[in-house]
Amino acid sequence: MDNITTITDPTGVESVIITHDDGSFTSMLKSTYDAIQASSTLAANSAPQANSTESLA
Amino acid sequence: MSRAQLTSTVEQNTGGAVAPFVAGKNFLVNGLHEIWQRGTSGTVSQSATAYVADHWWGTRFGGAAGMTMSQTTGANNLSYGLRAQRTAGNTDTSIIQFGQNIESLHAEPLRGQTVTFSFYVRAGSNFSSSSVTVGLQANTSTDGVYFANGGWGTNFASTTLSSANSNLNTTYTKVTVTGTVPSNAVGVCVVFLYSPASGTAGAADYLDVSACQLEIGSVATLASRAGGTFQGELALCQRYYYRQSGTENASMFLGYGQAYSSSQLYWTTRLPVQMRTTVQALDYYGLQVYLNSSGSGYGISSISINQSSSISPSLFVTCTSGLSTNTMYNIFMAGSSSYLGFSAEL
Repeated sequence: MDNITTITDPTGVESVIITHDDGSFTSMLKSTYDAIQASSTLAANSAPQANSTESLA
Repeated sequence: MSRAQLTSTVEQNTGGAVAPFVAGKNFLVNGLHEIWQRGTSGTVSQSATAYVADHWWGTRFGGAAGMTMSQTTGANNLSYGLRAQRTAGNTDTSIIQFGQNIESLHAEPLRGQTVTFSFYVRAGSNFSSSSVTVGLQANTSTDGVYFANGGWGTNFASTTLSSANSNLNTTYTKVTVTGTVPSNAVGVCVVFLYSPASGTAGAADYLDVSACQLEIGSVATLASRAGGTFQGELALCQRYYYRQSGTENASMFLGYGQAYSSSQLYWTTRLPVQMRTTVQALDYYGLQVYLNSSGSGYGISSISINQSSSISPSLFVTCTSGLSTNTMYNIFMAGSSSYLGFSAEL
């Protein structure tokens, strides 16, 4: 299970550090992480449209 | 009019034939699956869309486990293809998805155009799905990201692969899908998705694709690199992701940073090409801060973005204590498996 921590550097920049099971890390600005989480939640409300053929509105 | 007739007409009108290899003809980056900066195999993370082959993402519906992506042999005399596989022993039937999003800026010329997606595909001998849906999708979001649970866009063209349709078996078969991109499309992507059948995955429960190309027109031509040359294709991939790794040099120095405190330093580095946008994420493993004069190494516990940039990001590094403030230290690969990656993927 990934471990997620938040750090703040001396200039006040907040980042999220994700520690993976294999010992590797992913880091990103906290604002980026929050945006991804928000978008993922929105996407979760609709299933993949494998057979959809409708056009864009 | 056939393509031969068209080419003939072009020759008559312009005095030159249209070459089959034209930079930019293929709107897919790394369509020949030659660039694997992250390595040639990887497990699809349960928490995020994963990239293994450059710019090709993979994910499972609901963030389910049990999917890998890896390099395989290619079709039509090409060396490489892309394999999406359900892990042997996995019993989850969640949808497996992989594909490529085209950056909105690159997709603009596709608006309102007839396009053809061509590729070779084959299934493993234990492939457990009865069919695979191949979709050409469009949306109206700038540089949209395809999430595990869908919601990216709508198909403007699709086809179904199956043994019954004679376009899916254990040897490579060429398939083409043609459609018209909506005139208001901002994002375009190609996606393969299928649901594994109930039961336990065998050792060859996989789908391979090779020679993927999305081009303007209703006829599939010979697949080529979007960047023209291999170096051009690499640079194009590095617009989205760049990795320095210890595979060539297990003790490579990446650059110098200045200690801010006994366990912190700032380091500004330079990327080989300008990225799509400011660096969005870093991934790293096995790095140290190192002082040449003493030969002392300090294990890095975190690297984060201090000032993001598309070409010259400033990083903040935290390591074990022992640094002398304002002294310059090297950022150091501690082994052949060490790496540092910069991502501006979609």
